[in-house]
Amino acid sequence: MTLSADPAAILEPETIEEASFLRDTMRAFRRNRMAMVGLAFVVLLVLGAVFAPWISPHDPYRVELDEQLLPMSATYWLGTDNFGRDVLTRILYGARISLVVGIVPSLVSLLIGTVLGILSGYMGGKTDFVVMRLADMMIAFPSLLLAMVVMYTLGANLLNIFLALALVGWASVARVVRSQTLALREKEFIEAARANGTSRAVIMFSHIFPNVVPTLIVLFSLSIPEAIMWESSLSFLGVGVQPPEASWGLLVAKGKEYMFQAPAVAIAPGVAILLTVMAFNFIGDGLRDALDPSMKD
Amino acid sequence: MLMFALRRILVSIPVLIGITLILFIMLNVVPGDPVALMMKEHASPEVIERVRAQMHLDDPLVVRYLSFLWNALQGDLGNSIKLNRPVTDLLLKAFPNTLMLAVCAALVSWVIGIPAGILSAVRRDSLLDRFFMGFSLLGVSMPVFWSALLLQYVFAMQLKLLPVSGFYGWEYMVLPAIVLGWSSAGVSARLTRSSLLEVMRHDYIRTARAKGLRETGVITRHALKNALIPVVTIMAIQVSGLLSGAVITEAIFSIPGVGRITVNAISSRDMPLLQGAVLFATVLVILGNLVADILYSVLDPRIRSQMKKDA
Amino acid sequence: MTSKTTVKLLLASGLASLMLMSPALAENMLRVSYSEDPKTADGQMTTDAYTLPLNIFDRLVESETTGPGESALVPGLAETWDVSEDGLTYTFHLRQGVKFHDGAVLTADDVVYTFDRMLNPATKALNTDILTFIAGAEDRLDGTADSVSGLKALDDHTVQITLAQPYAAFLALLAAPGASIYNRAFTEAAGDQFGLTPETTNGTGPFILRDYTLNDSQMLEANEDYWRGRPKLDRLLVRVVSDSETLRMLFESDEIDVLDLDYAPTQTPYFYGSDQWKDQIRSGPRVGIYYYNINQLKKPFDDVRVRKAFQIAIDRQTILDKNFYGKGKLEDGVIPRGLTCYAPAEPIEYNPAKARELLAEAGYPDGVEINLQQVSSWSTKWSDMNQIIQAQVAEAGFKANIVTTDEAAFLDARKAGEAEAYTQVWSADFNDPDNFFYTFFSESGSKTRGYNNDDPEVFAGIEKARGMVDQEERCKLYQDLTARIVGEDAAWVPLFSLDHSYVVQPRVKNFVVPWNGWSDMNYFNVEVE
Repeated sequence: MTLSADPAAILEPETIEEASFLRDTMRAFRRNRMAMVGLAFVVLLVLGAVFAPWISPHDPYRVELDEQLLPMSATYWLGTDNFGRDVLTRILYGARISLVVGIVPSLVSLLIGTVLGILSGYMGGKTDFVVMRLADMMIAFPSLLLAMVVMYTLGANLLNIFLALALVGWASVARVVRSQTLALREKEFIEAARANGTSRAVIMFSHIFPNVVPTLIVLFSLSIPEAIMWESSLSFLGVGVQPPEASWGLLVAKGKEYMFQAPAVAIAPGVAILLTVMAFNFIGDGLRDALDPSMKD
Repeated sequence: MLMFALRRILVSIPVLIGITLILFIMLNVVPGDPVALMMKEHASPEVIERVRAQMHLDDPLVVRYLSFLWNALQGDLGNSIKLNRPVTDLLLKAFPNTLMLAVCAALVSWVIGIPAGILSAVRRDSLLDRFFMGFSLLGVSMPVFWSALLLQYVFAMQLKLLPVSGFYGWEYMVLPAIVLGWSSAGVSARLTRSSLLEVMRHDYIRTARAKGLRETGVITRHALKNALIPVVTIMAIQVSGLLSGAVITEAIFSIPGVGRITVNAISSRDMPLLQGAVLFATVLVILGNLVADILYSVLDPRIRSQMKKDA
Repeated sequence: MTSKTTVKLLLASGLASLMLMSPALAENMLRVSYSEDPKTADGQMTTDAYTLPLNIFDRLVESETTGPGESALVPGLAETWDVSEDGLTYTFHLRQGVKFHDGAVLTADDVVYTFDRMLNPATKALNTDILTFIAGAEDRLDGTADSVSGLKALDDHTVQITLAQPYAAFLALLAAPGASIYNRAFTEAAGDQFGLTPETTNGTGPFILRDYTLNDSQMLEANEDYWRGRPKLDRLLVRVVSDSETLRMLFESDEIDVLDLDYAPTQTPYFYGSDQWKDQIRSGPRVGIYYYNINQLKKPFDDVRVRKAFQIAIDRQTILDKNFYGKGKLEDGVIPRGLTCYAPAEPIEYNPAKARELLAEAGYPDGVEINLQQVSSWSTKWSDMNQIIQAQVAEAGFKANIVTTDEAAFLDARKAGEAEAYTQVWSADFNDPDNFFYTFFSESGSKTRGYNNDDPEVFAGIEKARGMVDQEERCKLYQDLTARIVGEDAAWVPLFSLDHSYVVQPRVKNFVVPWNGWSDMNYFNVEVE
């Protein structure tokens, strides 16, 4: 389900002059129409999720059995579910889960992957061997199955989803960061620093790290939609977020039972997943193109 | 060549052993009594105690791991608690169905993805390009469980053109293969497109063009051959990815394959079965990567010469 | 090379299995479906899938459905039986000339073997509860004896079973699918494979297992030599369909003959409202009770007034109407309608105002916080119920939190007496109140099921009822126990029992909902046109 066949090829590490680089990147990104559309959608979604209680007049958890499965109306824009809850409101609250699940585990796996990747690439030797074999193993596991096993072991709740997704995600980050570190290690400015007697820790974190940041940004933006997808799949299978919480995957799974009477209950949250994942993918593509014009196409 | 393949295989072995260890630890530190979990409400506490003692669940973890590893080497993955049958048998019986689904899905993915990628590259930035790229982005952005539902609703419930689910004949394969294939068609299309675009930048293509060859000739005779190398090499990875990605598809379409077994193993908390199924899927992924690596080295002359230098 | 041939082989076998199973409409074939694979035909080895045992095997006695939710024990493989005065010795006289599917003739030794097999620890049977009342059963299970002292074949056609203590429900237990009778020679030879494939399955029942494709289907064929006479059906196809929308579509496109609405509950209003289908509905009561468990070790449920308030704060009728489409009946006792000794108990009213008063009396004038347990791996039916009840009891002043944990944590907590209140259903395993009272309110049951209703009088009453021979007195005792448990102590929150509805194709005749309302049933009497 990854878009890029080889994440290692995403960016060629270069030494960067920060100010102008940032400006160029922003300009390039702004020129990418799809990326801007994606960004706009995500901003709206974030606003909707954060301010859901003020935007929606409905309570997402209220049970009103007299208003089961109502069709779309002015009061209930997307109709109601089997408990008489407003579907649109449930989707808005579901966005909270999806956004958090998109961001938190991605950050965690980015953090682990970056630390291990830089260590592995810069130190080489045994460290490198151990980290890379560990990464090989994690990558060989089919991701969804690995996540399912983690949920099976630890129990189905949001915190464990973070854990499962971070566990699935760090290895590929580590690989990419390592290969960039390897390339950077040979650069003149690093060798110069080494010759000056700069400590290894300082080289790794104040010389190498800033140079992998652009790559990390792209990886981050691309791992958000993936994490959202994983979470919704886990919740759909019943090993993710638990009711009465309103995860999109869960909404589809529950709505599916009422597919004949009220198709919107199942279809609408799926559209939300689709649009959100697409929007993040647009942003990710845009960022990649902007951060490294040579990688366009 | 042979050396390369051998070396690749040897490297996979410690990875595989590590995976069994991780998997074993993860599944065996599950809190709670697996027997009580398995037997549900109607079994009495006395029966639960008895079955638990019979299953050697009180042996030390190390002993259980080593015996698991030793048996797994001989193709014995233990007995499913719930189905009371050898896990290996269950997996091998289910595998043809999963393989069939994965191969059909892969075909869908290539038949749609590769031509779409070529057309997009040739008519770069045209409306057609936009359409195909949009289509493939849609494929990768759609949750499989949702697109399955949608297609079932339209083609089976409303139009009544195709069966909803089950596995009794070719027509039953159509929807699952499309659902599963669509998401990977996006990958195929994007890869084909970018690979072809890159090849077309090369000198020999410019030369061919300069010699006055027609554009279609240039593309089919010169560019495609090289551009498809990366596409072909990831085919093996795609198939193995589809094999393990079939979990949700199989569950929705009631296809009795390995993925369905995995989901059932989780819901019935059948630890040996889950362990075996995940291990099985992991071996497939490793195999897929292995085949891809070897294929790549065979097909790509640059790598081949690199290997000669190494040797 | 080998891997290539393996792949080819696998492909070929996949193709073969595709071609094999086309559900072409054979003459007189009934096509039914269940949501899960039965896993085995061996009733000793399963506690939840009984269709195969019920159709492939017979039992000494059978529970025959005599009306909606009513049953009678009738002779099965035992033509007659005598019970000694002290209620300890049962002598069964076997029907003569009954043949197994492989041609072997049924003897008393087969019966002794079958029950001994269940109690043999090497079998690892799951249904041992059925036979633990037999003298010497415990010793056999513990491995301290090599045979069961209470099991004897007096001659080829007479079996004598001695109980350790009188147990009134023993005959009802022998009609349970787990007590199906096997053939010694065949079953010993099949070993642990018994019941897993057609080749390793052999019974005396109306149908013969012909094909078993795991997670897909089982095909059964009529037993031409069945001792009751050949079944009306030629074949019975049992499909595994886990998805409810799929099920409805399969049914509407005439690919299955019986739609079990248990597997597609949300389709209930559609079928009841459809002109095409509403006359094709077969419905009967289900002998199973939905309940809310309360743990008296957990505050505030240690106070009987709080328990009483919780009982009357739940609007059961609304749940029944809105969540189960009104297909059922409110229950006020421990046992549901349809069970032996059932009698209507004192109705529990819905009265949130009074519940509020009770809470105030108990010292919670501003309401009280309670926890409702939800188990993540349970079906969403239970989380639905919890969400509704959470909203309902709020009106009486209960601030209910839904606590979700996984099943392991729940079971551990329940064992330790720390489980939160939870909702579940209990369906009768056999037709006797003991199945309910003992499970929930005996000394061991009250602990292990998380009630902690520590009431010696109830414990003694349940033990006493087990051995009582006079049925009328026994039923009276159960009614007194109900009044104490549900009425006085409010230790149990009975909710309702549901109907079980099926929709059948017009060509299906003689389809009767079994007395217990199970999905698992015997298809001997069903016909198709």
